[in-house]
Amino acid sequence: MTITLIPLISIVFGIIGSNLSGYILKKYTLGIIGNTIAGVFGSVFLIKSFGRLGFDPKAIVQSGNVHIGLLILNLFVSFIGGAIAVVLIHKLKKNINH
Amino acid sequence: MEDMIFYDRLQFAFTITFHYIFPQLTMGLSLIIVYFKGRYLINKVEKYNNIAKFLMKIFAINFTMGVITGIPMEFQFGTNWAKFSELTGSIIGQTLAMEGMFSFFLESSFLALFIFGEKLMGQKLHFLTGFLVFLGSWGSGWFILATNAWMQHPVGYEILDNGKFVLENFSALFSNPWLLPAFLHNQFASVVTSSFVVASIGAFYILRNKNLEYGKLLLKVGVVFGLVSSILLAFPTGDWNAKNVAKYQPASFAAMEGIFETEEAGAEIVLIGQPNMVEKKLDNKIAVPNVLSFLTYQKWDKQIPGMDKFEKEDLPDNIPALYYSYHIMVGLGTIFIGVMMLAGFFLWRRKLFNMQPLLWVIMFLVPFPYIANITGWYVAELGRQPYLVYGLLRTTEGISPTVSSGNTLFTLLGFVAIYLLLGLLFLILVGKTIHQGPNPQTH
Repeated sequence: MTITLIPLISIVFGIIGSNLSGYILKKYTLGIIGNTIAGVFGSVFLIKSFGRLGFDPKAIVQSGNVHIGLLILNLFVSFIGGAIAVVLIHKLKKNINH
Repeated sequence: MEDMIFYDRLQFAFTITFHYIFPQLTMGLSLIIVYFKGRYLINKVEKYNNIAKFLMKIFAINFTMGVITGIPMEFQFGTNWAKFSELTGSIIGQTLAMEGMFSFFLESSFLALFIFGEKLMGQKLHFLTGFLVFLGSWGSGWFILATNAWMQHPVGYEILDNGKFVLENFSALFSNPWLLPAFLHNQFASVVTSSFVVASIGAFYILRNKNLEYGKLLLKVGVVFGLVSSILLAFPTGDWNAKNVAKYQPASFAAMEGIFETEEAGAEIVLIGQPNMVEKKLDNKIAVPNVLSFLTYQKWDKQIPGMDKFEKEDLPDNIPALYYSYHIMVGLGTIFIGVMMLAGFFLWRRKLFNMQPLLWVIMFLVPFPYIANITGWYVAELGRQPYLVYGLLRTTEGISPTVSSGNTLFTLLGFVAIYLLLGLLFLILVGKTIHQGPNPQTH
């Protein structure tokens, strides 16, 4: 069912968001490996948080039709989740090793 | 209806096959990381610590890929296999939830601490975090295997009037006679994969004349772990598992061994042969008489029931796939023992690092433990057919009647495309890590 694909597509957007964030904000980059891992967990974390508000995959494909607006919102939230995760993890890493 | 079952099974097979590429490495690798970190704690030689941190980077990439590819599995239980989840959810839901709550969180939290917290925690606590990552990853394996063991050999349950399974005895889930041998066999198989990966990275560095000191250490540890785990994989754990199949799933045992007709006095072991499903026999077979009876029951003339003793509807529905999966797994396992014994011998004679042909073999053998692990799981899953819960719930009764085959096929094609992308990303990240090597400045 399409619902199973949505989380995967979201994560791919999270990975893109985190790597783009690392590319633009160079002082926060964790390297391609670190950025990618941060993107996965950032996107999952933010989507899960927003899922509680109704943006979860089940809401997107309710009654058998894809709700395009919610899908775009979901992908956007994933992208932002990945981007924010890079900055947060970089700061966390810096503080831990300070 | 048959279309729906086919595509549901194909999708699950594809997604679980791709998913299992990753946990099989993380489980074994966590043990090797604990070894290196432990050695560093004892002798304070920096290279052991550098290797532990280097391997943890590879672990983290695999772990992340495992998380991504694990998510669709969870969704499929609710979408394609909704009836199965509805009927058995109160049992399998418990072990799967425990996997998430205890093991996954343990593993992920302490993985982050291991990667970032060395300076903050000091070496003893850093070792402890590595050990807890190992505990979390093996705990995950334990809970997943407990779920699968219940499906293979259901225990401690009661069936209500509405067909739902409920748990009558919680501890029975973990004292299931199927569980311990399956768990040990699975874990040693993952150690074999990790050992081959570690040894092959070492062989790669030696052949490239790069990171030589690290290469020799990786190769040495990979060979020692690989030799021990390959042997333990065959005996006692593989032997124990086969005996369990013979005892609890005799029809599957006959199919995986290719026994079409029951032999009066002692069953032969088939080394090579092709199942002929029309004439119900093996073509071009090479077999050794009575050995299977001896290996299974320690009696040369003990009769083992062939497929002719079972009703057609109780036999696995894809006998050639089951038979080939089993023989590929066993054949590869035997090759692993041979290669690792040879490598172990030359390591003992202090000649291994200069034996270029053997180093090439070790390096290029890497995909094969993955194939053996995955075919091993095919044996378990194809052998359980035509049931989801052995003897109680047929696969046809577990699918979601409202999900069309076209819908499942579309999703499957989507998975193929996304996994291709993720697979490429995974290879790039792991390749980059290996290229950087265990040198401290790369951490």
